[in-house]
Amino acid sequence: MAETREKLLEVENLQVTFGTKRHPFTAVDGVSFDIYRGETFGLVGESGSGKTTIGRAIIRVNPVSGGTVKYKGEVISGKVSRETDRRIIQNIQMIFQDPMASLNERAKVDYIVSEGLYALGEKLSEEARKEKVAKALSDVGLLPEFASRFPHEFSGGQRQRIGIARALIMEPEFIIADEPISALDVSIRAQVLNLMSRLQKERGLTYLFIAHDLSVVRFISDRIGVIYKGKLMELAGSEQLFAHPLHPYTQALLSAIPMPDPESEREKKLVVYDPTRHGYTENDPPLWEELEDGHFVRGSRRELEGYRKLLGQ
Amino acid sequence: MPNENAILSFEDLEIEFTLRGQVLRAIRSVCLDVYRGESLAIVGESGSGKSVFTKSAMGLLDANGAITGGHIWYEGKDLARYTTEKEWRAIRGKEIAMVMQDPMTSLNPLQTIGDQIAEAVRLHQDLKGGAAKAAAVEALAAVGIDEPERRYKQFPHEFSGGMRQRVVIAIAVACRPKVLICDEPTTALDVTIQAQILDLIKILQKKLDLTTIYITHDLGVVANVADRIAVMYAGDIVEVGKCEEVFYDPRHPYTWALLSSLPQLGVKGQALYSIQGTPPNLFHEVHGDAFAPRNPQALNIDFVERPPLFEVTPTHKARTWLLDPRAPKVEPPEHIRQLRQKGGYLHG
Amino acid sequence: MAIFRIKDSKTQALANSLNKESARQFSQEELFQFAPYDPDAGERGGYSDYSYWRSTLRAFRKNRVAMFFLCVILATLLFTFLEPLIPYDREPNTIYYIEQEKINLFTRQPVLDEQGNPVVEVSRATDQRPGQEFWFGTNSIGQDLWSQIWSGTRNSLFIGFSVACVDALLGILMGVLWGYVRKLDFFFTELYNIFDNVPQTLIVMIISYVLRPGMGTMIFAMCLTSWLATARFIRNQVVIIRDRDYNLASRCLGTSTWRLITKNLLPYLVSIITMRMALAIPAAINNEVFITYIGLGVPLETPTLGNLVETGRKVMGEAALRYQLFIPVVILATITISFYIIGNAFADAADPKNHVN
Repeated sequence: MAETREKLLEVENLQVTFGTKRHPFTAVDGVSFDIYRGETFGLVGESGSGKTTIGRAIIRVNPVSGGTVKYKGEVISGKVSRETDRRIIQNIQMIFQDPMASLNERAKVDYIVSEGLYALGEKLSEEARKEKVAKALSDVGLLPEFASRFPHEFSGGQRQRIGIARALIMEPEFIIADEPISALDVSIRAQVLNLMSRLQKERGLTYLFIAHDLSVVRFISDRIGVIYKGKLMELAGSEQLFAHPLHPYTQALLSAIPMPDPESEREKKLVVYDPTRHGYTENDPPLWEELEDGHFVRGSRRELEGYRKLLGQ
Repeated sequence: MPNENAILSFEDLEIEFTLRGQVLRAIRSVCLDVYRGESLAIVGESGSGKSVFTKSAMGLLDANGAITGGHIWYEGKDLARYTTEKEWRAIRGKEIAMVMQDPMTSLNPLQTIGDQIAEAVRLHQDLKGGAAKAAAVEALAAVGIDEPERRYKQFPHEFSGGMRQRVVIAIAVACRPKVLICDEPTTALDVTIQAQILDLIKILQKKLDLTTIYITHDLGVVANVADRIAVMYAGDIVEVGKCEEVFYDPRHPYTWALLSSLPQLGVKGQALYSIQGTPPNLFHEVHGDAFAPRNPQALNIDFVERPPLFEVTPTHKARTWLLDPRAPKVEPPEHIRQLRQKGGYLHG
Repeated sequence: MAIFRIKDSKTQALANSLNKESARQFSQEELFQFAPYDPDAGERGGYSDYSYWRSTLRAFRKNRVAMFFLCVILATLLFTFLEPLIPYDREPNTIYYIEQEKINLFTRQPVLDEQGNPVVEVSRATDQRPGQEFWFGTNSIGQDLWSQIWSGTRNSLFIGFSVACVDALLGILMGVLWGYVRKLDFFFTELYNIFDNVPQTLIVMIISYVLRPGMGTMIFAMCLTSWLATARFIRNQVVIIRDRDYNLASRCLGTSTWRLITKNLLPYLVSIITMRMALAIPAAINNEVFITYIGLGVPLETPTLGNLVETGRKVMGEAALRYQLFIPVVILATITISFYIIGNAFADAADPKNHVN
């Protein structure tokens, strides 16, 4: 069923290395996944798992040291032609985690929102530009009069929406949202999530939603990839993942989700993940296999056998 | 005078800050009793004043802030009248201790973990040399750190985030305080670690007979740890009650909004309940109910007069005109009604 | 600033009174009816009127000492330009003659004529003490010190401002490229390492020998290497902020490097650049004094504070003539100290941490 849909983004064997040649640090290692047009792909992991690095590698802020990233079948990692470069910039946009840090404090909202238009190289009259800014602002539920103000005059939620307006003005197809709500207040998070869902419906956007909070990812994503220390552990449809979490790390994450309900919190049983339990060796390396339709797990031959049995039950 | 079961009692507390020549009313006449041995959670958004409120009980307000009215009663003493560092030193750490959000900022990166705990022990328990060291090792073991003898000699950067937070907790309880304030104790930590830290605090609370005050914006944390909950909005406590009362039968529209906007409770494909707008700017004078401009069902009186604390049950109070007998009946959002049924509160 | 606040409190008072009036209009029944809901009102609520520059100026103005020295500098600057207009017509380079009693060079006694009156003759007005005739006195060849001082201050300030401007322009441009364009890092670092090891005095000496001495040469020589230090300073600042989220966001939007530099980086650096400029001016003036002192400076017919100090130094041994050294030194010290205090006060004021009160 999934195969009939158009693959918008293909990540194959992605590797990102930081540091010097003498002391390399591999942040992302052998990560592969596809994102289909119109869906929301959730990427879940803890701090330092490499989830942000993957997002930044796709949008080409972090250089890729191995593997490829394809957008609509065209390789976009590494060196690309000027024309492709411009097309990717327009098509792939990013929403950042911290709205306090991701806006230029010394520029007015008007400039921040229309910044992308300058790079597109279209000759826009001042009026047409102003109109586009006003439209982008009202699309995210802000008042057009905000255009003449500076970012520091706004609250976190408003600033995050300014950040979304800045991405939207490019009319992108694919948006990477890197923890877009984790720095926001509880009462504001719903606003931003609703906004993102509404925009997706209206414009047929595709999202890569990066987060550490499984409950939020479950709400917004169609499929979820679980990442731990730079490697994908499990990938499945979100309901599939919640119904049959196979990898012990996924189980640990699921068990820890804080629920705003005193009763279920009281009955909560924590599963602690011990990465040494697998006992992977040279002869028995972990594999990445699809066990049921669209459900990938990482494990040794023996472990995968066990997972299959679990699924069979 | 305060309730005799209360260990810490805030009475009509008012706190103001002066910022660039303007006066910001951070806390607007707030009353709250913290009972001996309980765990109380203060929930609110950033800027709601929840941190300022609790910091005032430790004399930790920033230099431009001051208590301008009311009392903070602690064991018969009014902490709101304390002015000198010397007075505060008798309270801070010894009677009321604090665990901050980011463990890295509360630890000295240049000193070993053990020395930092031993220092706290020496200051407050009057132990010296070997005895202090032994107490510190014991404290490390008590917060669930393996091989405490070896870890004693390590520096903060050799610890993971969760382990560091455990050390911070060890330092906080090393002086055997009566009240432990946890300011967003798990916000900076990963989900799998969060639950472990909360469990640790709960265990210590029982073992050491602590009264704990949690400050958080995370309702998942609150549901896990709290006996009672106080909901704060724009420098005022809008609802206070037992954990079940607030989760299963909330009365203030702001509490409704907080609970029903959570993605955990959302249904995929449907929009989440959400409140528009942003919290008010406290530089401007707040008239009536601070939440009114964001509340689609606000009454005229909400813009005119501050609502009193209406009593729902003897333990559950809410500051909203909706509880006035003259007010029209307002149905809470769908999610809240579901929660009511779950909690067994069936109201017509 | 004050105007802003008055406006604020006035509008606030107006809003309050309006609110109170509308409150009275509600009847008991109406009070408990639903109020009209305006979603935009909630959006407008969380709005702060903090402005970085307004707060910086406010903090700076609060520093009384700095404000005083700012006035001193502005007054000095203004006076150097107004000085030629005041009714005291003496030229800095003219040698003046006055009628004075002839002095016997050997006995140091006035020469008397037959009637026993002192012989009066017209001679050069050398080493005249400050007074009615020459306000700041004259130097040992009979030039008027008052006009020399002010024209010298004018020239020195010109040197200071020129060097600081070139320094800032080149230093900022190169520093930003050095810090932001990673490929250029190696080139600039090596260039800096080479030039940083050659004493600046040496370079100035060589330039002074090769070119014709004068103000232009002096400015050129001082600018030639000083921008490297500024560039390095700017480079370090750029490295600190270049990977912040808002810059990543701009890169994701395809913003060109040039636009990114002018819109994202420089506006954040304005305060520290201003401070550095404020300190570069007195540094250049003092440098000129030093270079003149070692004999490589501007020729004597162009008065500068350096020349004046040097001339004064030669007669320092004679107590009666020390005014020739003291007056330029006082001016020099005033300028240096003023800029130094202003620069530091501005740096403090520009730090957002100090915008609390």
